[in-house]
Amino acid sequence: MEGSLYTAIGIAMFGIGLFGVVALAQAMKKILAVNICGVGIFMIFIANSTAVNGSVDYVPHAIVLTGIVVAVAGTALALSLVCRIYDKTKQQVGK
Amino acid sequence: MIEYALFIDLMLGVGAVITAILCLAIRDLFQSILVFMCMGLLVTLIWARLGAWDVAIAEAAIGAGLTGALLLATRRRLMQQDKS
Repeated sequence: MEGSLYTAIGIAMFGIGLFGVVALAQAMKKILAVNICGVGIFMIFIANSTAVNGSVDYVPHAIVLTGIVVAVAGTALALSLVCRIYDKTKQQVGK
Repeated sequence: MIEYALFIDLMLGVGAVITAILCLAIRDLFQSILVFMCMGLLVTLIWARLGAWDVAIAEAAIGAGLTGALLLATRRRLMQQDKS
């Protein structure tokens, strides 16, 4: 029951993040939207890692744990690119 | 008879979706980053609810704390260079 509920919520959060990526102008808001997309994907993974009889599969947990770290590294890369673009062009992206 | 487990699941899920919408709908960037950190804490509670304790701890430390600190530092740098 709760697995299917959280799967639906993860799909909804992925859709919200995708809408934010294509609809917002600011670069920082786009980075936030990509992070929201990632949270939705991780929620789908974790919600489907529990079987019907209650046994937990730990491989999706490890994959999501790796994915959180990679998401933080990608966010840091994107933010450093935003800073570098502002240093070069003296104006913020989309503002 | 209210099923309390389903009630808690529904409240956490609807709260996560509402904070995600609010994070993109607010105009001010500072408030948006704060709402994003609140969403990270709520997602931490969801993963504790689903039984993934290690993922919950990693999300609370990295997803809410470190990402929020990076975003706030970048925003402050852009604002400082905007003023000068």
